[in-house]
Amino acid sequence: MNTALSFAPVVAERDVEVISRPSLSYWRDAWIRLKANRRALVSLYIVIALGVFTVFGPLFVPSASIQDLDQISSPPGADRSAFIVPPYVPWSGVTVNVRDAQGPLEAPGSMTLVGEATTQAVRMFWDPVPGAHGYRVYRNIAHPAPDDALGMPLADVLNPSRVSFEDRLDIKPGEYFYSVVPLDMNGVEAPVYTTLDVRAIRVITADEAVKRGLAESVADLAVGDEVKLKLHVLGTDYLGRDMLSRLMHGARVSLFIGIVAPFLFILVGILYGSAAGFVGGRVDQVLMRFADFVVALPFLLFMILFRILFKIEGGDSGIAPMLIAMVILSWPAAARLVRGQILQIREEGYISASRLLGAKTPYLVLRHMIPNTMGVILVTITFAVPSAIFTEAFLSFIGMGVAPPTPSWGSMCNEGLKTMLTHPHELIFPALFISITVLAFNLLGDGLRDALDARMRSQE
Amino acid sequence: MSTTSSDSAGASGRAVAGAVGIAGAPTDQGSGKGIAWLGEGSQLFILSVLGIGAFVLLMMLLSFVSEMFGGGGAGEAVDPGTGTITLALSTEPPQLDSTRATDMVSGQILGHVMEGLVRYDEFNRIVPGVAERWEIDESEAVFHLRDDSRWSDGTPVTAHDFVFAWRTAVEPETASEYAFILYPIKNARAVNEGDLPVTALGATAVDDHTLAVQLERPIGYFDKLVAFPTYYPIKQDFYEGRDGRYGADPEDLLYNGPFAIERWVHGAQLRMTRNDEYWARDRIHLNAIDYAYITSDVNATLNLFKDGKVAIASLDAETLHDALEQRWKLERFNDGSVFFIEFNHRPERLTHNRNLRKAIQLVVDPAELVYKVIKLPGNTPGESLFPVWLKGVNGYFRQEYPAPEHRVDIARAHDYLTRARQELGLDPLPPLIFLSGDNPAANKQSEYFQEVFASRLGLEVKIDRQIFKQRLAKMTAGEFDMVLAGWGPDYADPLTFGDLFASWNKNNRGAYVNPELDAWVEVAQSSLVPEERMQAFDEIQKIIYDDAVILPNYERGSVFVRNPRLKGVVRRAVGTDPDYTGAYIADG
Repeated sequence: MNTALSFAPVVAERDVEVISRPSLSYWRDAWIRLKANRRALVSLYIVIALGVFTVFGPLFVPSASIQDLDQISSPPGADRSAFIVPPYVPWSGVTVNVRDAQGPLEAPGSMTLVGEATTQAVRMFWDPVPGAHGYRVYRNIAHPAPDDALGMPLADVLNPSRVSFEDRLDIKPGEYFYSVVPLDMNGVEAPVYTTLDVRAIRVITADEAVKRGLAESVADLAVGDEVKLKLHVLGTDYLGRDMLSRLMHGARVSLFIGIVAPFLFILVGILYGSAAGFVGGRVDQVLMRFADFVVALPFLLFMILFRILFKIEGGDSGIAPMLIAMVILSWPAAARLVRGQILQIREEGYISASRLLGAKTPYLVLRHMIPNTMGVILVTITFAVPSAIFTEAFLSFIGMGVAPPTPSWGSMCNEGLKTMLTHPHELIFPALFISITVLAFNLLGDGLRDALDARMRSQE
Repeated sequence: MSTTSSDSAGASGRAVAGAVGIAGAPTDQGSGKGIAWLGEGSQLFILSVLGIGAFVLLMMLLSFVSEMFGGGGAGEAVDPGTGTITLALSTEPPQLDSTRATDMVSGQILGHVMEGLVRYDEFNRIVPGVAERWEIDESEAVFHLRDDSRWSDGTPVTAHDFVFAWRTAVEPETASEYAFILYPIKNARAVNEGDLPVTALGATAVDDHTLAVQLERPIGYFDKLVAFPTYYPIKQDFYEGRDGRYGADPEDLLYNGPFAIERWVHGAQLRMTRNDEYWARDRIHLNAIDYAYITSDVNATLNLFKDGKVAIASLDAETLHDALEQRWKLERFNDGSVFFIEFNHRPERLTHNRNLRKAIQLVVDPAELVYKVIKLPGNTPGESLFPVWLKGVNGYFRQEYPAPEHRVDIARAHDYLTRARQELGLDPLPPLIFLSGDNPAANKQSEYFQEVFASRLGLEVKIDRQIFKQRLAKMTAGEFDMVLAGWGPDYADPLTFGDLFASWNKNNRGAYVNPELDAWVEVAQSSLVPEERMQAFDEIQKIIYDDAVILPNYERGSVFVRNPRLKGVVRRAVGTDPDYTGAYIADG
């Protein structure tokens, strides 16, 4: 009959509800919101740049332990030109026959430079002073007149017939003023002196130049040729080691600790916190009191105990115990956070619904609960990274971190601190890197918190 | 009252209004994101201005507070009115019992408050102290003590006081680390090792003013030896009345030297004043020496010097440039000690192998270390165990017997290394443990050597940094392959260095054993002929180089600045250093 017609199915009106905007997943939405946050975005770029700097940087720079003793503590952009000289040969000096005399000592008549004043050696001799029992040689960076500032005493020449001196002490290219003061029989200075003004030039031997890779072979170089010393973009440290290279190698240690430690302790925190939160009741109470107990343990003391436990002698790296101590002591914060989230989510309607539909506990935890705490966890990680970097820097600063010659930013700061007034670049660069990294991770964490927090989305 | 309060309220009200005005201003211009950005910017600006302002205020407050409480009440560096000089002490002496003192600071303080039989004058010559005159022959030394030498309680210093002090020092219960310095006295070693009673010690008081010393063997430098602090006198009644606290505090010490300790605040201050009972008090010009600061921080001491708070400050390579720019006159001083890399010669260690040691020796360049790494004038590259200032037969020992010539030779070093590898049957060699001090200078040197060994020899080295006490403990236990060590002279004779590597010496921490060297040490100890002794030292010098027992690094010097009005300060390698007993304040 007409049954089929009478009961003609209603055509579904599919266009009643149209999703007019493209569907956005949680992560995609978070990404869009992150992109809108300029500070967070810049920080993200910095973090990526740091990653590249750390992972690929050391492949392109020389080893961090090579010592360029010709360029110790040279700041970035220092003059690098040097002249080729023959290898150093000891100098026998100048000896004369002296006549004895009475009366007050006079200043040497004149001082003469022997050869050229170079960073290898400055050689000089002076006219003998009758009656002198020895001479004291001074060096200064400015002229002694008018207030007789002779500068630093280099040596006492205690042989009256020896009227020469060779200076090799840390000569930098530039002007020096050498003064000679005659000494009486008791080694007491006479109040007179003669000054010699010299300008030292930077030199390097052909062998050294080849060793440092400045020329192919010794045959290519003749005495007097000008070469450019090896370029150190960010200067060198107190042993002539390349700062850029040390910063890159140091970043490996600092960022390794900074990323691996938070990752591990937050993983522990997630497992511990979700177990406590999900099971609840008495178990939760016991677990969380234990977490409170761990919070109360002093970190530095544990660090020292671990060094002893692992038989870390001086000379061994303290990175492994540092990592373990951080993981063992830092997880409770993450555990508390995750537990709180799980307690909250456990009571949500969709959990009950899922349970009614027959979901097992592991499924509930892995599919519904952990993903919903992910935002909080990510934010915790980004905030934990800077604090871990700080901890590593601090421990290396007090000498409990890396073993030499491995650099880390903290140990570089420690070394740079001693030369802060004379060579500030040795402190500024590692300090700057720590500051920028910590700031970048903090701002990124800040942005991530805003982007991942669903409640903040509803406020807009 | 009321007007004041209303005034201040008004002022604060204006300030708030002003701040709002600035923050609010951008809101009136433009719209959208720009506002927020600008607003944020000016807010940031205000906050940073406030922050910097608060910081400056905090700094001012802190400096005010530190001026109120700091300084320990110290006055000017040199005060001619009261005859006082103010100084900084690097560390505090652990205690001032002369029989147990080992460190340099104790020696420095004891040298001012005590006097031995003899002392050093300003030209480092031995001159009479408590003893007026003395005779020393092959088996006996007799000291005639002056009548007018008195303790600070007014009682005379007698020969009994010396006998008591020496017996206390060698007594096994005292456990004095410097007991060995008394070993030239007959039976001293046997007493110290517990084989003989303490009364067997060969020192007797013939009467109150005559001290007779029987010698174990002929000794050519006994007069120099008795200037050492362990030989200082101690009054028996006083020592026993102190019940084990002798030397712990100012009142637990009896003084017979030019000064006496007036106040000792542990860890903060030590003040010495002129001892009016001292027999040669006319020689002393200063009324008080005030160590008002106890700090080992070079920068801190230098800042105190800049502020005119201390009369003397040492410099390091970092502060040197600053000092030159201040146009100060710097002084240089060689403190007489030698620093070296000491090998561990125990048979179970790799460094027992001579070829390995020779290989390492041939790549080490002391001149490079001193001129490029340490960079402090006064240090001289090390060439020998015997420093340059030691006297030989007529002139200086090192001019009469030059050190073996040393030159870096990397090719030969590799030959030695290859042989060492074959003998040890190890290829590659495991990392060597390089024990070092834990201070900036030692860190720098150890890292320099680490790279030298790695780049020139391909040897891996692990640096073990330890504080002084721990380093000494590890050296004694033999837990190292190489160690940065040093030795300062106890008396002005080459033997103070020469017997260091004798197999019986407790300070031979590398446990070097060589009968040939021991034989030469015995010659140097017992001979009275200067030529023979110096010949023996030369043989020791050669063995030490040929066998690479140690690698000399440098002879330590220091550079310091002195207040120009403070004169007469004596620096010396052996004896009290620095010595202020003859110091005076010049008219400025």
